Amino acid sequence: MKKAIPILIAGLSGLLVLVALIWQPQLAGWLEVVLNWAVIIASVAALVAMATLLLAHTRKIIMVRHGFIYSVILIGAFLVSFVGGMTAGVENPSYLRWIAAIQQPAEASLLGLAALVMAAAALRLFHQRGWSALTVSFGISALVFLVLGLGWLQALQIPQLDIVIGYLEALPLVGMRGLLIGMGLGALLLGLRIVLGLERPYGE
Amino acid sequence: MNALDVIIGLIGFALTLMVFSYLLGYNFFFRAALYLLVGISSGYIAAVLITKVILPLLIAPIQAHNGQFSPLTVVPLLLCLLLVLMLFPRTVSAGKLPLAFLVGVMAALTIAGVSRGTLAPQLLSIVNRFSPSLVQTDGEPAWGQILEAVFILLGVVAVLFTFHHRTHLKGDTEARSGLVEGLSSVGQVFIGITFGMLFVGFYTTALTALIAQLGTIKDFILSLITG
Repeated sequence: MKKAIPILIAGLSGLLVLVALIWQPQLAGWLEVVLNWAVIIASVAALVAMATLLLAHTRKIIMVRHGFIYSVILIGAFLVSFVGGMTAGVENPSYLRWIAAIQQPAEASLLGLAALVMAAAALRLFHQRGWSALTVSFGISALVFLVLGLGWLQALQIPQLDIVIGYLEALPLVGMRGLLIGMGLGALLLGLRIVLGLERPYGE
Repeated sequence: MNALDVIIGLIGFALTLMVFSYLLGYNFFFRAALYLLVGISSGYIAAVLITKVILPLLIAPIQAHNGQFSPLTVVPLLLCLLLVLMLFPRTVSAGKLPLAFLVGVMAALTIAGVSRGTLAPQLLSIVNRFSPSLVQTDGEPAWGQILEAVFILLGVVAVLFTFHHRTHLKGDTEARSGLVEGLSSVGQVFIGITFGMLFVGFYTTALTALIAQLGTIKDFILSLITG
Protein backbone atom coordinates (compact mmCIF):
# COMPACT_ATOMS: atom_id res chain seq x y z
CA MET A 1 0.00 0.00 0.00
CA LYS A 2 2.85 2.36 0.95
CA LYS A 3 4.43 1.81 -2.48
CA ALA A 4 1.14 2.36 -4.29
CA ILE A 5 0.50 5.90 -3.00
CA PRO A 6 3.34 7.67 -4.91
CA ILE A 7 2.45 5.71 -8.08
CA LEU A 8 -1.18 6.75 -7.67
CA ILE A 9 -0.25 10.40 -7.09
CA ALA A 10 2.07 10.46 -10.14
CA GLY A 11 -0.57 8.80 -12.33
CA LEU A 12 -3.45 10.98 -11.14
CA SER A 13 -1.52 14.27 -11.38
CA GLY A 14 -0.30 13.31 -14.85
CA LEU A 15 -3.77 12.32 -16.06
CA LEU A 16 -5.30 15.48 -14.57
CA VAL A 17 -2.82 17.68 -16.43
CA LEU A 18 -3.36 15.75 -19.68
CA VAL A 19 -7.15 16.01 -19.37
CA ALA A 20 -6.89 19.71 -18.48
CA LEU A 21 -4.64 20.30 -21.50
CA ILE A 22 -7.19 18.64 -23.81
CA TRP A 23 -10.31 20.35 -22.37
CA GLN A 24 -8.64 23.73 -22.40
CA PRO A 25 -11.15 26.48 -21.76
CA GLN A 26 -13.23 24.49 -19.25
CA LEU A 27 -10.37 23.18 -17.10
CA ALA A 28 -7.95 26.10 -17.56
CA GLY A 29 -8.42 27.20 -13.94
CA TRP A 30 -7.53 23.75 -12.58
CA LEU A 31 -4.53 23.52 -14.86
CA GLU A 32 -3.24 26.86 -13.58
CA VAL A 33 -3.60 25.71 -9.95
CA VAL A 34 -1.78 22.41 -10.56
CA LEU A 35 0.98 24.09 -12.57
CA ASN A 36 1.42 26.69 -9.79
CA TRP A 37 1.82 23.86 -7.27
CA ALA A 38 4.34 22.17 -9.56
CA VAL A 39 6.35 25.41 -9.86
CA ILE A 40 6.36 25.84 -6.06
CA ILE A 41 7.38 22.21 -5.43
CA ALA A 42 10.09 22.33 -8.12
CA SER A 43 11.49 25.51 -6.51
CA VAL A 44 11.47 23.96 -3.03
CA ALA A 45 13.09 20.81 -4.47
CA ALA A 46 15.87 22.99 -5.91
CA LEU A 47 16.31 24.72 -2.54
CA VAL A 48 16.42 21.34 -0.76
CA ALA A 49 19.09 20.20 -3.24
CA MET A 50 21.12 23.35 -2.51
CA ALA A 51 20.69 22.83 1.24
CA THR A 52 21.97 19.25 0.82
CA LEU A 53 25.00 20.56 -1.08
CA LEU A 54 25.72 23.14 1.64
CA LEU A 55 25.30 20.55 4.41
CA ALA A 56 27.73 18.19 2.70
CA HIS A 57 30.34 20.95 2.36
CA THR A 58 29.78 22.15 5.95
CA ARG A 59 30.46 18.59 7.13
CA LYS A 60 33.63 18.59 5.05
CA ILE A 61 34.80 21.82 6.72
CA ILE A 62 33.95 20.65 10.26
CA MET A 63 35.81 17.37 9.77
CA VAL A 64 38.72 19.19 8.02
CA ARG A 65 38.65 16.67 5.17
CA HIS A 66 41.04 16.84 2.20
CA GLY A 67 40.11 19.78 -0.06
CA PHE A 68 37.99 21.52 2.58
CA ILE A 69 39.32 24.88 1.37
CA TYR A 70 37.11 24.54 -1.74
CA SER A 71 34.11 24.00 0.53
CA VAL A 72 35.01 27.23 2.37
CA ILE A 73 35.08 29.07 -0.98
CA LEU A 74 31.74 27.57 -2.05
CA ILE A 75 29.90 28.30 1.19
CA GLY A 76 31.44 31.78 1.50
CA ALA A 77 30.43 32.64 -2.08
CA PHE A 78 26.94 31.21 -1.52
CA LEU A 79 26.39 33.23 1.66
CA VAL A 80 27.64 36.49 0.12
CA SER A 81 25.47 36.04 -2.97
CA PHE A 82 22.38 34.81 -1.05
CA VAL A 83 22.47 37.41 1.73
CA GLY A 84 23.17 40.15 -0.83
CA GLY A 85 20.18 39.06 -2.93
CA MET A 86 17.83 38.82 0.06
CA THR A 87 18.82 42.19 1.54
CA ALA A 88 19.42 44.35 -1.57
CA GLY A 89 16.85 42.54 -3.76
CA VAL A 90 17.60 40.28 -6.71
CA GLU A 91 16.81 43.07 -9.19
CA ASN A 92 19.09 45.64 -7.54
CA PRO A 93 21.47 46.90 -10.31
CA SER A 94 24.52 47.08 -7.99
CA TYR A 95 23.92 43.50 -6.76
CA LEU A 96 23.44 42.25 -10.32
CA ARG A 97 26.64 44.03 -11.39
CA TRP A 98 28.67 42.18 -8.74
CA ILE A 99 27.09 38.84 -9.63
CA ALA A 100 27.79 39.44 -13.34
CA ALA A 101 31.37 40.52 -12.50
CA ILE A 102 32.04 36.96 -11.33
CA GLN A 103 29.70 34.92 -13.54
CA GLN A 104 30.42 36.59 -16.87
CA PRO A 105 34.25 36.23 -17.00
CA ALA A 106 34.19 32.75 -15.43
CA GLU A 107 31.52 31.44 -17.84
CA ALA A 108 33.04 33.12 -20.90
CA SER A 109 36.47 31.70 -20.01
CA LEU A 110 34.99 28.23 -19.49
CA LEU A 111 33.32 28.47 -22.91
CA GLY A 112 36.63 29.62 -24.41
CA LEU A 113 38.38 26.72 -22.71
CA ALA A 114 35.75 24.42 -24.20
CA ALA A 115 36.93 25.46 -27.69
CA LEU A 116 40.42 24.19 -26.93
CA VAL A 117 39.20 21.02 -25.21
CA MET A 118 36.73 20.29 -28.03
CA ALA A 119 39.46 20.50 -30.68
CA ALA A 120 41.51 17.93 -28.74
CA ALA A 121 38.44 15.74 -28.11
CA ALA A 122 37.51 15.73 -31.82
CA LEU A 123 40.97 14.41 -32.70
CA ARG A 124 40.77 11.81 -29.92
CA LEU A 125 37.45 10.58 -31.38
CA PHE A 126 39.26 9.11 -34.39
CA HIS A 127 41.86 7.43 -32.16
CA GLN A 128 39.26 5.84 -29.89
CA ARG A 129 36.44 4.91 -32.29
CA GLY A 130 38.56 4.29 -35.40
CA TRP A 131 37.33 4.82 -38.95
CA SER A 132 33.60 4.17 -39.24
CA ALA A 133 30.71 5.63 -41.22
CA LEU A 134 29.94 7.86 -38.24
CA THR A 135 33.45 9.20 -37.62
CA VAL A 136 34.32 9.73 -41.30
CA SER A 137 31.06 11.58 -42.04
CA PHE A 138 31.53 13.59 -38.82
CA GLY A 139 35.06 14.61 -39.83
CA ILE A 140 34.16 15.54 -43.41
CA SER A 141 31.03 17.40 -42.28
CA ALA A 142 32.96 19.36 -39.64
CA LEU A 143 35.59 20.32 -42.21
CA VAL A 144 33.00 21.33 -44.84
CA PHE A 145 30.94 23.42 -42.41
CA LEU A 146 34.06 25.04 -41.00
CA VAL A 147 34.98 26.17 -44.54
CA LEU A 148 31.38 27.23 -45.28
CA GLY A 149 31.30 29.13 -41.98
CA LEU A 150 34.21 31.29 -43.14
CA GLY A 151 31.98 32.62 -45.93
CA TRP A 152 34.71 32.67 -48.60
CA LEU A 153 32.86 30.32 -50.98
CA GLN A 154 29.64 32.34 -50.64
CA ALA A 155 31.60 35.54 -51.36
CA LEU A 156 32.60 34.19 -54.81
CA GLN A 157 28.92 34.54 -55.85
CA ILE A 158 28.94 31.70 -58.38
CA PRO A 159 25.28 30.63 -58.94
CA GLN A 160 26.07 26.89 -59.43
CA LEU A 161 28.23 26.89 -56.31
CA ASP A 162 25.47 28.60 -54.34
CA ILE A 163 23.07 25.79 -55.31
CA VAL A 164 25.57 23.16 -54.12
CA ILE A 165 26.09 25.10 -50.86
CA GLY A 166 22.30 25.25 -50.40
CA TYR A 167 22.08 21.44 -50.70
CA LEU A 168 25.06 20.94 -48.37
CA GLU A 169 23.51 23.21 -45.74
CA ALA A 170 20.22 21.29 -45.96
CA LEU A 171 21.90 17.89 -45.45
CA PRO A 172 22.26 18.09 -41.62
CA LEU A 173 18.54 18.82 -41.34
CA VAL A 174 17.78 15.24 -42.40
CA GLY A 175 19.80 13.81 -39.51
CA MET A 176 18.47 16.48 -37.17
CA ARG A 177 14.87 15.56 -38.05
CA GLY A 178 15.60 11.89 -37.46
CA LEU A 179 17.26 12.61 -34.12
CA LEU A 180 14.44 14.93 -33.02
CA ILE A 181 11.78 12.35 -33.93
CA GLY A 182 13.77 9.63 -32.12
CA MET A 183 14.17 11.79 -29.00
CA GLY A 184 10.51 12.82 -29.18
CA LEU A 185 9.35 9.20 -29.36
CA GLY A 186 11.65 8.30 -26.45
CA ALA A 187 10.36 11.19 -24.31
CA LEU A 188 6.75 10.35 -25.20
CA LEU A 189 7.23 6.72 -24.23
CA LEU A 190 8.93 7.64 -20.94
CA GLY A 191 6.15 10.12 -20.12
CA LEU A 192 3.49 7.48 -20.77
CA ARG A 193 5.36 4.89 -18.68
CA ILE A 194 5.51 7.37 -15.74
CA VAL A 195 1.81 8.24 -15.97
CA LEU A 196 0.94 4.52 -16.15
CA GLY A 197 3.16 3.77 -13.14
CA LEU A 198 5.60 1.54 -15.03
CA GLU A 199 8.53 3.92 -14.46
CA ARG A 200 9.22 5.36 -10.99
CA PRO A 201 12.02 7.94 -11.03
CA TYR A 202 10.89 9.21 -7.59
CA GLY A 203 12.04 5.95 -5.97
CA GLU A 204 10.56 2.51 -5.34
CA MET B 1 37.73 54.40 -15.02
CA ASN B 2 36.66 54.61 -11.36
CA ALA B 3 37.79 52.40 -8.45
CA LEU B 4 34.77 50.05 -8.79
CA ASP B 5 35.49 49.46 -12.47
CA VAL B 6 39.12 48.64 -11.62
CA ILE B 7 38.06 46.15 -8.91
CA ILE B 8 35.50 44.47 -11.21
CA GLY B 9 38.06 44.39 -14.02
CA LEU B 10 40.67 42.84 -11.71
CA ILE B 11 38.17 40.16 -10.58
CA GLY B 12 37.42 39.33 -14.22
CA PHE B 13 41.12 39.24 -15.08
CA ALA B 14 41.93 36.99 -12.11
CA LEU B 15 39.02 34.62 -12.84
CA THR B 16 40.00 34.36 -16.51
CA LEU B 17 43.57 33.44 -15.58
CA MET B 18 42.30 30.94 -12.97
CA VAL B 19 40.05 29.21 -15.54
CA PHE B 20 42.73 29.12 -18.25
CA SER B 21 45.21 27.69 -15.73
CA TYR B 22 43.45 24.38 -16.54
CA LEU B 23 45.73 24.23 -19.59
CA LEU B 24 48.57 23.54 -17.11
CA GLY B 25 46.57 20.78 -15.45
CA TYR B 26 43.68 20.32 -13.03
CA ASN B 27 45.04 22.67 -10.34
CA PHE B 28 44.01 24.64 -7.24
CA PHE B 29 43.20 27.90 -9.09
CA PHE B 30 40.91 26.22 -11.64
CA ARG B 31 39.03 24.33 -8.92
CA ALA B 32 38.74 27.49 -6.79
CA ALA B 33 37.23 29.37 -9.76
CA LEU B 34 34.70 26.57 -10.31
CA TYR B 35 33.67 26.43 -6.65
CA LEU B 36 33.38 30.23 -6.57
CA LEU B 37 31.15 30.18 -9.66
CA VAL B 38 28.95 27.41 -8.21
CA GLY B 39 28.66 29.23 -4.86
CA ILE B 40 27.78 32.60 -6.38
CA SER B 41 25.33 31.10 -8.89
CA SER B 42 23.56 28.87 -6.35
CA GLY B 43 23.26 31.76 -3.87
CA TYR B 44 21.75 33.95 -6.59
CA ILE B 45 19.36 31.19 -7.72
CA ALA B 46 18.29 30.52 -4.11
CA ALA B 47 17.55 34.24 -3.58
CA VAL B 48 15.58 34.41 -6.85
CA LEU B 49 13.56 31.27 -6.00
CA ILE B 50 12.65 32.60 -2.55
CA THR B 51 11.78 36.14 -3.61
CA LYS B 52 10.13 35.34 -6.96
CA VAL B 53 8.43 31.98 -6.32
CA ILE B 54 8.17 30.94 -2.66
CA LEU B 55 7.14 34.31 -1.21
CA PRO B 56 4.59 35.38 -3.86
CA LEU B 57 3.12 31.94 -4.69
CA LEU B 58 3.28 30.11 -1.34
CA ILE B 59 3.49 32.62 1.53
CA ALA B 60 1.52 35.58 0.10
CA PRO B 61 -1.72 33.56 -0.48
CA ILE B 62 -1.63 32.40 3.18
CA GLN B 63 -1.12 35.98 4.36
CA ALA B 64 -3.96 37.12 2.08
CA HIS B 65 -6.32 34.74 3.96
CA ASN B 66 -5.17 36.29 7.29
CA GLY B 67 -3.21 33.17 8.17
CA GLN B 68 -6.24 30.89 7.65
CA PHE B 69 -5.51 27.90 5.49
CA SER B 70 -7.61 27.15 2.42
CA PRO B 71 -7.27 23.83 0.54
CA LEU B 72 -5.55 25.63 -2.33
CA THR B 73 -2.78 26.92 -0.06
CA VAL B 74 -2.49 24.00 2.34
CA VAL B 75 -1.73 21.33 -0.31
CA PRO B 76 1.44 22.94 -1.72
CA LEU B 77 2.51 23.90 1.82
CA LEU B 78 2.17 20.29 3.00
CA LEU B 79 3.98 18.94 -0.05
CA CYS B 80 6.80 21.46 0.51
CA LEU B 81 7.12 20.43 4.17
CA LEU B 82 7.39 16.78 3.08
CA LEU B 83 10.16 17.80 0.67
CA VAL B 84 12.04 19.62 3.44
CA LEU B 85 11.91 16.40 5.48
CA MET B 86 14.21 14.89 2.84
CA LEU B 87 17.06 16.81 4.48
CA PHE B 88 16.95 14.39 7.43
CA PRO B 89 18.16 10.82 6.84
CA ARG B 90 15.30 9.19 8.78
CA THR B 91 12.55 10.98 6.84
CA VAL B 92 13.99 10.87 3.34
CA SER B 93 11.12 8.69 2.09
CA ALA B 94 8.60 11.46 2.94
CA GLY B 95 9.82 13.30 -0.14
CA LYS B 96 8.46 10.61 -2.46
CA LEU B 97 4.94 12.07 -2.46
CA PRO B 98 5.81 15.62 -3.64
CA LEU B 99 8.36 14.20 -6.08
CA ALA B 100 5.75 11.77 -7.46
CA PHE B 101 3.35 14.70 -7.97
CA LEU B 102 6.07 16.73 -9.69
CA VAL B 103 7.15 13.82 -11.89
CA GLY B 104 3.53 13.12 -12.88
CA VAL B 105 2.91 16.74 -13.89
CA MET B 106 6.24 16.93 -15.77
CA ALA B 107 5.51 13.65 -17.58
CA ALA B 108 2.11 14.94 -18.71
CA LEU B 109 3.63 18.24 -19.88
CA THR B 110 6.33 16.28 -21.73
CA ILE B 111 3.72 14.10 -23.47
CA ALA B 112 1.74 17.16 -24.56
CA GLY B 113 4.79 19.28 -25.41
CA VAL B 114 6.66 16.61 -27.35
CA SER B 115 3.65 15.42 -29.34
CA ARG B 116 2.49 18.94 -30.24
CA GLY B 117 5.82 20.76 -30.37
CA THR B 118 8.28 18.18 -31.73
CA LEU B 119 6.71 15.06 -33.23
CA ALA B 120 3.77 16.62 -35.09
CA PRO B 121 5.75 19.47 -36.76
CA GLN B 122 8.68 17.19 -37.67
CA LEU B 123 6.48 14.45 -39.12
CA LEU B 124 4.28 16.96 -40.94
CA SER B 125 7.32 18.66 -42.50
CA ILE B 126 8.32 15.29 -43.99
CA VAL B 127 4.81 14.37 -45.15
CA ASN B 128 4.12 17.85 -46.55
CA ARG B 129 7.01 17.44 -48.99
CA PHE B 130 4.87 14.85 -50.80
CA SER B 131 1.92 17.26 -51.15
CA PRO B 132 0.58 17.34 -54.76
CA SER B 133 1.16 21.08 -55.02
CA LEU B 134 4.90 20.54 -54.45
CA VAL B 135 5.58 17.36 -56.41
CA GLN B 136 3.74 18.55 -59.53
CA THR B 137 4.27 21.54 -61.78
CA ASP B 138 1.71 22.16 -64.54
CA GLY B 139 0.38 18.58 -64.18
CA GLU B 140 3.83 17.10 -64.75
CA PRO B 141 5.79 15.39 -61.96
CA ALA B 142 8.53 17.62 -60.53
CA TRP B 143 11.23 14.94 -60.28
CA GLY B 144 13.65 17.17 -58.40
CA GLN B 145 11.12 17.79 -55.62
CA ILE B 146 10.08 14.12 -55.56
CA LEU B 147 13.69 12.95 -55.26
CA GLU B 148 14.33 15.47 -52.48
CA ALA B 149 11.24 14.32 -50.57
CA VAL B 150 12.17 10.62 -50.93
CA PHE B 151 15.78 11.39 -49.93
CA ILE B 152 14.65 13.15 -46.75
CA LEU B 153 12.16 10.38 -45.89
CA LEU B 154 14.79 7.66 -46.38
CA GLY B 155 17.35 9.68 -44.40
CA VAL B 156 15.01 10.08 -41.44
CA VAL B 157 14.03 6.38 -41.53
CA ALA B 158 17.73 5.40 -41.72
CA VAL B 159 18.56 7.61 -38.71
CA LEU B 160 15.75 6.00 -36.72
CA PHE B 161 17.02 2.53 -37.67
CA THR B 162 20.46 3.42 -36.24
CA PHE B 163 18.91 3.15 -32.78
CA HIS B 164 17.11 -0.12 -33.57
CA HIS B 165 18.96 -2.72 -31.52
CA ARG B 166 16.66 -5.71 -31.86
CA THR B 167 18.70 -8.78 -32.77
CA HIS B 168 17.92 -12.21 -34.21
CA LEU B 169 19.73 -15.47 -33.62
CA LYS B 170 22.00 -16.16 -36.63
CA GLY B 171 23.69 -19.50 -36.10
CA ASP B 172 25.39 -19.21 -32.74
CA THR B 173 25.51 -15.41 -32.56
CA GLU B 174 22.91 -12.72 -32.20
CA ALA B 175 22.93 -10.13 -35.00
CA ARG B 176 20.79 -7.49 -36.60
CA SER B 177 19.18 -8.32 -39.94
CA GLY B 178 21.04 -7.28 -43.12
CA LEU B 179 18.45 -4.63 -44.02
CA VAL B 180 18.59 -3.05 -40.56
CA GLU B 181 22.41 -3.14 -40.61
CA GLY B 182 22.49 -1.44 -44.03
CA LEU B 183 19.95 1.23 -43.07
CA SER B 184 21.80 1.77 -39.81
CA SER B 185 25.06 2.48 -41.69
CA VAL B 186 23.29 5.05 -43.88
CA GLY B 187 21.74 6.54 -40.73
CA GLN B 188 25.17 6.82 -39.15
CA VAL B 189 26.35 8.92 -42.10
CA PHE B 190 23.44 11.34 -41.62
CA ILE B 191 24.02 11.50 -37.87
CA GLY B 192 27.74 12.13 -38.48
CA ILE B 193 26.90 15.00 -40.87
CA THR B 194 24.51 16.52 -38.31
CA PHE B 195 26.99 16.16 -35.44
CA GLY B 196 29.72 17.67 -37.63
CA MET B 197 27.56 20.74 -38.30
CA LEU B 198 26.59 21.02 -34.61
CA PHE B 199 30.25 20.63 -33.60
CA VAL B 200 31.29 23.46 -35.88
CA GLY B 201 28.45 25.66 -34.56
CA PHE B 202 29.43 25.09 -30.94
CA TYR B 203 33.14 25.31 -31.70
CA THR B 204 32.69 28.66 -33.46
CA THR B 205 30.67 29.99 -30.50
CA ALA B 206 33.31 28.84 -28.02
CA LEU B 207 36.10 30.29 -30.13
CA THR B 208 34.25 33.62 -30.34
CA ALA B 209 33.90 33.61 -26.53
CA LEU B 210 37.62 32.87 -26.18
CA ILE B 211 38.58 35.75 -28.51
CA ALA B 212 36.11 38.13 -26.81
CA GLN B 213 37.44 37.25 -23.34
CA LEU B 214 41.05 37.73 -24.43
CA GLY B 215 40.01 41.04 -26.02
CA THR B 216 38.38 42.16 -22.76
CA ILE B 217 41.59 41.39 -20.83
CA LYS B 218 43.68 43.26 -23.40
CA ASP B 219 41.38 46.30 -23.18
CA PHE B 220 41.48 46.20 -19.35
CA ILE B 221 45.30 46.09 -19.27
CA LEU B 222 45.55 48.89 -21.84
CA SER B 223 43.11 51.06 -19.88
CA LEU B 224 45.13 50.46 -16.70
CA ILE B 225 48.35 51.47 -18.46
CA THR B 226 46.90 54.54 -20.18
CA GLY B 227 44.83 55.48 -17.11
